[in-house]
Amino acid sequence: MTNMAEDLKAEARSVGTNLEAAPEGRRLPNRPSRSNRSTREQKARTTNVLIYGVLVVLVAALMVPFIWMLSSSLKENNQVLTVPIQWIPTEFVWSNYTDIWSRIPMLGYLQNSLYLSVIITVLQVLTGSLAAYGFSKVRFPGRDVLFLGYIGTIAVPWQAYMVPQYIMMQQLGLTNSFNALILLQAFGAFGVFLMRQYYMTIPDELCEAARIDGLSEYGIWARIILPLSKPALASLALLTFVNTWNDYMGPFIYLTSNRLWTVQLGLRSFVGQFDAEYAMIMTGSVISVVPILIIFLLGQRYFIQGIATSGMKG
Amino acid sequence: MTTQTITQAPVPERTAPHSRGNRKQARRNALIGWTFILPNFLGFLAFTLIPVLAAFALSFMEWTSFSAPKWVGLKNFERMIASDSFWVALRNTVVYALGHVPLTMALALVLAMLLNRKLKGIGFFRVAIFFPYITSLVAVAVVWNMLFSPDSGPVNQFLHGIGIAEAPGWTSSSDWALPAVIITSVWRDMGYYMVLYLAGLQAIPTELYEAAEVDGASAWQRFWNVTLPSLRPTTFFVVVMLTVSSFKVFDLIVVMTNGGPGRSTTVLSQLIYQEGIGEGKFGYSSAISLVLFLIVLTVTVLQFKIQQRRER
Amino acid sequence: MKRTTLAAIALAVTAGLGLTGCAGAAGPAETGNQNGKTKLTVSVWNYEGTPEFKALFDGYEAANPNVDIEPVDILADDYPQKVTTMLAGGDTTDVLTMKNVIDYARYANNGQLQEINSVVDSVGKDNLASLDAFDMNGKYFAAPYRQDFWLLYYNKDLFKAAGIDDPKDLTWEKYSEIAKKLTSTADGKKVYGTYHHIWRSVVQAIAAAQNGGDQISGEYGFFEDQYNTALDLQKSGATLDFGTAKSQKTSYRTMFETGQAAMMPMGTWYIAGILQAKKDGKTNVNWGLAPLPQKDSSGKVSTFGSPTAFAVNKNAAHSEEAKKFIEWAAGEEGAKTISKIGVVPALQNDAVTAEYFKLDGLPTDALSKKAFTPDETALEMPVSDKSAATDKILNQEHDLVMVGERSVTDGIAEMGKRVKDEVLK
Repeated sequence: MTNMAEDLKAEARSVGTNLEAAPEGRRLPNRPSRSNRSTREQKARTTNVLIYGVLVVLVAALMVPFIWMLSSSLKENNQVLTVPIQWIPTEFVWSNYTDIWSRIPMLGYLQNSLYLSVIITVLQVLTGSLAAYGFSKVRFPGRDVLFLGYIGTIAVPWQAYMVPQYIMMQQLGLTNSFNALILLQAFGAFGVFLMRQYYMTIPDELCEAARIDGLSEYGIWARIILPLSKPALASLALLTFVNTWNDYMGPFIYLTSNRLWTVQLGLRSFVGQFDAEYAMIMTGSVISVVPILIIFLLGQRYFIQGIATSGMKG
Repeated sequence: MTTQTITQAPVPERTAPHSRGNRKQARRNALIGWTFILPNFLGFLAFTLIPVLAAFALSFMEWTSFSAPKWVGLKNFERMIASDSFWVALRNTVVYALGHVPLTMALALVLAMLLNRKLKGIGFFRVAIFFPYITSLVAVAVVWNMLFSPDSGPVNQFLHGIGIAEAPGWTSSSDWALPAVIITSVWRDMGYYMVLYLAGLQAIPTELYEAAEVDGASAWQRFWNVTLPSLRPTTFFVVVMLTVSSFKVFDLIVVMTNGGPGRSTTVLSQLIYQEGIGEGKFGYSSAISLVLFLIVLTVTVLQFKIQQRRER
Repeated sequence: MKRTTLAAIALAVTAGLGLTGCAGAAGPAETGNQNGKTKLTVSVWNYEGTPEFKALFDGYEAANPNVDIEPVDILADDYPQKVTTMLAGGDTTDVLTMKNVIDYARYANNGQLQEINSVVDSVGKDNLASLDAFDMNGKYFAAPYRQDFWLLYYNKDLFKAAGIDDPKDLTWEKYSEIAKKLTSTADGKKVYGTYHHIWRSVVQAIAAAQNGGDQISGEYGFFEDQYNTALDLQKSGATLDFGTAKSQKTSYRTMFETGQAAMMPMGTWYIAGILQAKKDGKTNVNWGLAPLPQKDSSGKVSTFGSPTAFAVNKNAAHSEEAKKFIEWAAGEEGAKTISKIGVVPALQNDAVTAEYFKLDGLPTDALSKKAFTPDETALEMPVSDKSAATDKILNQEHDLVMVGERSVTDGIAEMGKRVKDEVLK
């Protein structure tokens, strides 16, 4: 599979060659030219130090609530929401992290969440990137109106059509199952929109050249456009995964049986009618962030490949 | 100006059906287009579009969700126009959007530019900036409310420090609660949109920058004449998604202020929720969502037209 | 390419894990209709965290071996939303638990519930607290099994340390006075004389109950004294200020269990919670119960409360069985069952109260017992189709008065104006 991807990329390059000489490999902006390398390097180093400084301060500011979350996950329930705020637990309750697995079927919930997130992400990326090609690279009447209709529906709050939708799903016999959620969330307009916008930045000459080379539209999509849109695919996959993983209302309405529950539902089960077990909720929240971090670290690699859409110039 | 000329020149899309006498080609194109769109469209039609249309139809009816709907014509809309709460919520939503959209967009772009480079540990920093989006909302609300605390909060202590005597009351004040919510939401969302900009930045051919540099363009000129124009499709996406999410904002407000104090942070989707689920007036709540839809659609179409004109 | 391989492997692994997850399944599998038992479904919230449900179901199953009760577990936070959606879809859950009377009014008015007058009659109309709330022109669509009402929790040790007598026959004036006396700062830790939670009922429902006021009338002059008391306490620092409590999501349990508040008006549901916390060693607060402070010192105690009830779904799969269950749960057997775990039953007679005070860890002094038998328990919020909308407005305006953006008089005037304009018109 990997080799194929590599081939496709090579192919994309060679298509670029048809139009103009391909650049030698990837390039970074501000690539130093040989003559004044040393001053350039020095300058780059100071910039880097500066950037690190900015980033460190920024990260500190962004992590504060997360640190509170961590600290709360190590407290007793009645020590979490204190006035004034208490940053360091008086007593570290490490047992929260062992208790949670038996208090609720956390492992099962994690598996359910993972299952839903992976399936929905794969479907969303696949159908979204397909449809986006139709909306950006093929021209036919009614295309733009249809596209605007797509986007428009994103604007309707789910609270507004939730009940009609539920009734429909109930009549189809799909409620209380993973299938309901998969069908509802895998075909959203979000992926179509995101991918279309990215495809717009890929010059049409590439498609054009490929057509001349005798590739079909499907071939162009699979062998030219897809390999070129890795950063967009990565961001779509990442965001869809995170949104599905963190979704609460959808699973809440459609998954009734406890054995189908996702992590977000499991965590909310610590909220009672008159009070809540906040330490447990925070413990679970910390655990549920871990998979997202893994996905993110994997996905973000695609944001630096510098896949220049080769050889395009005005 | 030379730098101007190197901005990615948009090329008219191929396979234009205008070529005379090429009806067949046009039909073929439509067919091909639809085969691409269909897998997604079928799911979208069945599970989103139909319920949405049903909800729109409900806005002309009275429906408690337990019995058959009853046609009432424009009554729901009349009630809406006469309702003070609707206008308050609409105003709050618009103000929220006007603050949230530009600020988030600008910061997300700045962050993306900052993080679009090869540096040791860049992955860590990118994750860190995404953290606010995945931090539990309760934690976000508690910590930000603490920061905004009128007397002892760090924000106001800072303001006092730089000589502002009358620091705002933030979430305990009707006038300042909305700005406080906007700041928090910008902080929370910028990482999310940064991811989109990061992807968009990868699509800019490096040759453009090189050419600009050869032309002696300054960093600012490169940003203005290369980066921004090349990011236009991404920006369109970000603006529309931000507008949509601003007009639908719900969770953060519910957890942070629950619409208060008074009605100062009540937004449209809360109204939709309360009227529908809370009071069983689904016709009325659908009417509000129809209005919300129309507003967002107008903004989107305008953006779309502007974008198309620029590309031409 | 290496990275692609890595990602592909990661994807495959996660997908694999997920798939096993589907098969592995969390929690208990659904029990089928085995050995000819009737399967009765009951909608409940937060099943794990609300022991009364399990107690009732186990008790009923023990008494009726041919019935298998299956809880439909719904998260407490958004319970009404899920129930509404399910019912709209024609759900056939047999018994629906009514979390509050406002939801009850909505379901009943829209014909979603079955009339169960026979059940109410056989339990005995006179014995059930708050039954009036469920009266819809002589028809009852639900029967209450639980009745929470408000009383005053206090920290005996803090009272002793300050040399103050137990809070007997308190008036609001006296209450404010001792609250201020009990406020202190020790080792940099502030102890508040009392804690008022942010719910509007702390002011408004108390005022309505003790002045005979009607909260959906659009006339709210009767709130005035209670607001003045609450604001005065807040200003003097004898209670945590409303703005902080709201924005920091202050937990009333934390305030009381960590000894940060010497007194606290709160509902009886907290009894079970504090008993559990003490049993688990999470707190060592030496607590007692007293009647809610009153307008005057006549000794007559008025408080307010809210019932929780069971109803039969119109589309129930087993209507008759459902009614039988409700009759049992609302009746003496059910009342004794939930008393054992510290939940206050709606059915009140001496036998049930006696059962309740057998509870391990419950303070048994005379004052606590007196707190348990108020002379009058008004409904927290009157039941009508206007309740939900009025509640929303009163909440919003309560906020503004409590953070000091509106004076008491202006706030009350605005409440009246808005309720008249937006709800009663």
